[in-house]
Amino acid sequence: MSEAIITDTPDADRSGADSGAVVPVADEDVVVDHPVDEHGAGDHAAHMVTSTGLSNNKLAMWLFLGSECLLFGGLISTYMLYRGRHTGSPGPAQLWDIPLTSVSSFVLLMSSLTMVLAVSAAQQRDDRLTTLWLSVTALLGATFVGAQVYEFTSFYHEGLGFTTSLFSSSFYTLTGFHGIHVTIGIIMLMALVGIISRSKVPGDKAEVVELIGLYWHFVDIVWIVIFTLVYLIPA
Amino acid sequence: MAIIERPSTVPAIAGGDAPQFVSPASSYGVFRRPVNSTGWRSWVFTVDHKRLGIMYGATALFFFLIGGVEALLIRTQLAAPDNTVLSASLYNQLFTMHATTMIFLFVMPVTTGFANYLVPLQIGARDVAFPRLNAFGYWCFLFGGIFLNTSWFLGGAADGGWFMYQPNANALFSPTHGVDFWSLGLQITGIASITGALNLIVTILNMRAPGMTLMKMPIFTWMALVTQFLLVFAIPVITVALFLLMFQRVFGAQFFNVDAGADPLLWQHLFWIFGHPEVYILILPSFGIVSEVLPVFSRKPLFGYKFVVFSGAAIGFVGWGVWAHHMFASGLGPVSVAVFSVSTMLIAIPTGVKIVNWVLTMWGGKLHFTTAMLFAIGLIAQFTIGGLSGVTHSVSPSDTQQTDTYYIVAHFHYVLFGGAVFGLFAGFYYWWPKVFGKMLSETLGKWNFWLMVIGMNLTFGPMHILGLQGQPRRMVVYPENLTGEGFFNLHFWNTAATVGSYLLALGVLVFVYNVWHTRKGAPAPLDPWDARSLEWLTTSPPKVHNFDVIPHVHALDEFFHLKYEEVDTDTGPRLVKVRTAEELLTEQETNADKHIHMPSPSYWPIVLAAGLPIMAYGIIYNHLLTVIGGAIVLMGAFAWALEPSVADDSDYDPPAAGGEPSQELVSV
Amino acid sequence: MSGVEQQVSTVRLVKQRTAIGLAVVAAAALLGGCARDAPQDTFQPEGENAQKIQNLQWPVFLVAGIVGVIVFGAIIYVVIRFRDRGQEMPKQTHGNPTLEIGLTILPAIILIAVGIPTVSTVFSLAKTSDTQCVVNVTGQQWWWEYEYPVQNCGGIEIAEPLVTSGELVIPTKAHVLLRLTSNDVIHSFWIPKLNGKRDAVPGRIHPLRMEADHPGIFAGQCTEFCGLSHARMRMDAVGLSPSDFATWVAKQSEPAAKPPGDAALRGEDVFRAQCARCHQVNGLMEENPDGTASAKPVIAFPDLYVIAGNAPNLTHLMSRTTFAGATWDLLTEPCRDALRNASPEDFGALYLKGVTPDCFNEAELREWIRNAPAKKPMYSSEEQKTENGGKYRGMPSLNLTDDQIDQIIAYLLERK
Repeated sequence: MSEAIITDTPDADRSGADSGAVVPVADEDVVVDHPVDEHGAGDHAAHMVTSTGLSNNKLAMWLFLGSECLLFGGLISTYMLYRGRHTGSPGPAQLWDIPLTSVSSFVLLMSSLTMVLAVSAAQQRDDRLTTLWLSVTALLGATFVGAQVYEFTSFYHEGLGFTTSLFSSSFYTLTGFHGIHVTIGIIMLMALVGIISRSKVPGDKAEVVELIGLYWHFVDIVWIVIFTLVYLIPA
Repeated sequence: MAIIERPSTVPAIAGGDAPQFVSPASSYGVFRRPVNSTGWRSWVFTVDHKRLGIMYGATALFFFLIGGVEALLIRTQLAAPDNTVLSASLYNQLFTMHATTMIFLFVMPVTTGFANYLVPLQIGARDVAFPRLNAFGYWCFLFGGIFLNTSWFLGGAADGGWFMYQPNANALFSPTHGVDFWSLGLQITGIASITGALNLIVTILNMRAPGMTLMKMPIFTWMALVTQFLLVFAIPVITVALFLLMFQRVFGAQFFNVDAGADPLLWQHLFWIFGHPEVYILILPSFGIVSEVLPVFSRKPLFGYKFVVFSGAAIGFVGWGVWAHHMFASGLGPVSVAVFSVSTMLIAIPTGVKIVNWVLTMWGGKLHFTTAMLFAIGLIAQFTIGGLSGVTHSVSPSDTQQTDTYYIVAHFHYVLFGGAVFGLFAGFYYWWPKVFGKMLSETLGKWNFWLMVIGMNLTFGPMHILGLQGQPRRMVVYPENLTGEGFFNLHFWNTAATVGSYLLALGVLVFVYNVWHTRKGAPAPLDPWDARSLEWLTTSPPKVHNFDVIPHVHALDEFFHLKYEEVDTDTGPRLVKVRTAEELLTEQETNADKHIHMPSPSYWPIVLAAGLPIMAYGIIYNHLLTVIGGAIVLMGAFAWALEPSVADDSDYDPPAAGGEPSQELVSV
Repeated sequence: MSGVEQQVSTVRLVKQRTAIGLAVVAAAALLGGCARDAPQDTFQPEGENAQKIQNLQWPVFLVAGIVGVIVFGAIIYVVIRFRDRGQEMPKQTHGNPTLEIGLTILPAIILIAVGIPTVSTVFSLAKTSDTQCVVNVTGQQWWWEYEYPVQNCGGIEIAEPLVTSGELVIPTKAHVLLRLTSNDVIHSFWIPKLNGKRDAVPGRIHPLRMEADHPGIFAGQCTEFCGLSHARMRMDAVGLSPSDFATWVAKQSEPAAKPPGDAALRGEDVFRAQCARCHQVNGLMEENPDGTASAKPVIAFPDLYVIAGNAPNLTHLMSRTTFAGATWDLLTEPCRDALRNASPEDFGALYLKGVTPDCFNEAELREWIRNAPAKKPMYSSEEQKTENGGKYRGMPSLNLTDDQIDQIIAYLLERK
């Protein structure tokens, strides 16, 4: 080899490649079907080759959730800065109904469990069970959102409006953003239930179920952080 | 957000033992996807990364001209002391919108355009990972930009400076709707940035051609990757800040109401935690472009590729730990100030590494001074000046003298105009033949370059003097009696800067003329620059499916190594061109893949994106409109999720000329 | 220039003698021409803290200049030496790790050399323990107010709080601590010759230390964008020798007396009716229905009328040389130049004379009283007042007649 000129030729076998003989590729059959998202869901993921081995959709979801961490990080920081600032208006000590919030938090946590069951059912291509567990998850999520709406209403009647104090603005913004995330999750779950029940291929939506599962677990984990920081740790 | 895509074909089990197959276009019966058509529909509904790249570039250049006119108005006002061309109110709007436009509507989208167009070609992919999301991002950017600029006609644009410090941007102190337009408009373009970033990261990580390991990726793709990671994590922070601002102004939240006990520094921290990574978001793609252009015209590989990659990644990390250097005068206390001073000095090291590597890339090379190369060298020189003035800012006590003066304005224009924008122009000249199949005129290019270099240095060079002489920025007037006398007279140097800005504008106009002049030129050669990376291993402009055969990559600078081989001669080994680009292309076409499947166009990205500005207008004017916009977004999302993955006729059978769609359905 | 020795030792790190020569010439050209520079020149310290900054920034700018010259030299050399002259295709070298690591460590060393003095200067500038005088500084759109609490200020007893605006008067050579805050948006206090800038943030108090080496006027400007008239929010620091400062304090402590002269007396009535809602004049008394002065002082309530809740105290307006956010001169041009160019020995006496009738720049003040927002945009029209919840953002146009303006000016001229 004439190392003198090309000092950094990475593959020794490149001369072979020119004749089309040896190519260091994992799976040559799929080169034609080079991954584009439209292929990306469901079973087809299994046949796709990506450079990382992770499906496009899943990688995107992980990145999106990473981005969401910063969103909630910003909102939580704002709340932590302002949680003690409620002069002359109700503060956490007067408002929190820890038993109620604990129950609704428990409900949300249980929904993560049912989500796991849904994902597992989807992977076993059991559409009936999948839709069942998805529906239960959505129901538990809706219960949580309902409890949050109830909580907001009672806080409002106790004199805590959105504009009342720094504490109230940042509290409603933080928990409201979380509530909207749960609501979007519920909408996605319901849509998924609809799509799966019309689907003609069992287990077709396994990856979608898994993706929404990732989202759902993330939203739950965020709630655990919020519940701890907002409700349990005294200001 | 329905980012979940259906599989392309759905084998249906309908009642019988023998499975029947339904074509994907009809599997849900409700929606059909548009077929690849011609005319305006082929642009509006496109999901092709190349078309979207061009659309990003063209739209961003349009906003560049708007931002430029704003800059010229500012400079005209400042040409003389106590000038009265502009009112204080209009001046404040102009400098706010100049910065906002140049950052969010020019540099960011044009770099997204470059990345969109080039990344799939550079990594040997046929499209990005999520083509519809890509289209959606473009439309968000366009609609967000238009929405932002309609504020000019609806009571006045934002007037709080691009950093929109609180509480000055509160409704009490900025009573027009300008800041509302600003916060909502940036929220919409932020969606474009996030979706674009997710898409490009997945594309780069997942869709590299066989053999292309991370350390064999073209350097532009690397810098694009770092940039997208910065975006993914920086944008949500500004999103939070913008929501707080919007809630404050529209719904009366208290976040920045000092009377209620708010701390105005909250905004500053949120803004700059976004704002400083943003600086690297603006500059790193240009670093990538220059790192592509210099080796090509030096006929040498990039010196210290790994160092450049790692220094880019290092900038990406350390860039998160320096935000408070924008706040040295904010009253943070000495400990924070000292820490951020040191971290800011730290980031100078990887930046310095890049400059050293660029100079050493040229060292011992065989330099061809094309326009692209000139712009690249211009970047090195001007960025050096901006970088060194940046080091003087890291010395926080010194910064308390210079911050918020024209010295800062000089610094960041040397970095962002002398650096980022020069890099972009190097990219325009370098890749123009690739994208449009026509060469930009080199003669006009030289005029373009020299006018811009002279204009840029005459505009921003004197600002160092103005700043060190104590002229603060964001001032509609400066009084005659405080301009001083002699060499450092503020009036003289302000006039010089204004003349410089006109020259600069002239340079940009030469570019615009060059584009127009080129449109009927002769077709560009296949490999006009003797280039090194994969995007040149296809036609110019590339076929819809980019490559007839997905290349197998063996080396960094794969294309170069396909063309050149070392041959032993009497005088030792020599590099000899063994294949031309034409031969390589012919080789590709003879072995072309069959039935290449490309994503079909879609109606829904533009529809979904159109819902957003409607919602935003609604938030400002009438909440009913918000509901309508929200309904459009929701319905659009459902339609997006439910539409079939392909239109009826959407496969490509190369090597038909240009690779037009064939009449064959892949799934039947 | 005590920093020269430091510069030289820093410079020795770099062994490019010729480059040093060039950089010194360039730096000298940039920084040297001292005499008539703009008054906010950041490289002409005239106070202790500004000097500390100067000692730090000089060598840093120098080193930056030298590095710049080296890089430019390298670029120019490469561009000339390696242009395409038909030479062979160059060797495809991918790098030289040793060289690259070396060229990474070199800037790191330079930055350590810069970093250590930076950190020590940061803490040295933050020192407040040897403070000799405190002034509370409040920014608002678009002017500064200075309040001197009861204290011994650099040896001079201040027996009751003083309030003034526009010009910050301090005793020379005393360590003065400014406690900065704001009534509305963020402003930034910057007197370049005395210290770097620091933001005045509503709801927070930021310390900033200042010392003036000698008597004189030191120009400054608000440097945090604060809205419409940000460009017209200026301030001056005035250094007075301790004895002159004592005189100044004594004068400022006096309440306003009944003005002599008919016009001024009528001016007082107009002032009481039109201006005293917002502008406090200490010693101004309410008028009984029969026209005699009562014993009840007139108290201004600017918080009812303007958003910032504050308006300049005009008791000693003519002891200052500027008005409306230190933007316009109360002195005619020759008098102003005479004062600003006065030697440190003569300055105190000249400044304490205040605005005498022969030096009075009437035109600008007249325009201001006639229609303030036309001179300085302030969102203070009636329409904007409604948008602002019934308060003005700054001084509105009061639609005064020419006679009334004459009378007010006659009255204000007595506010020495």
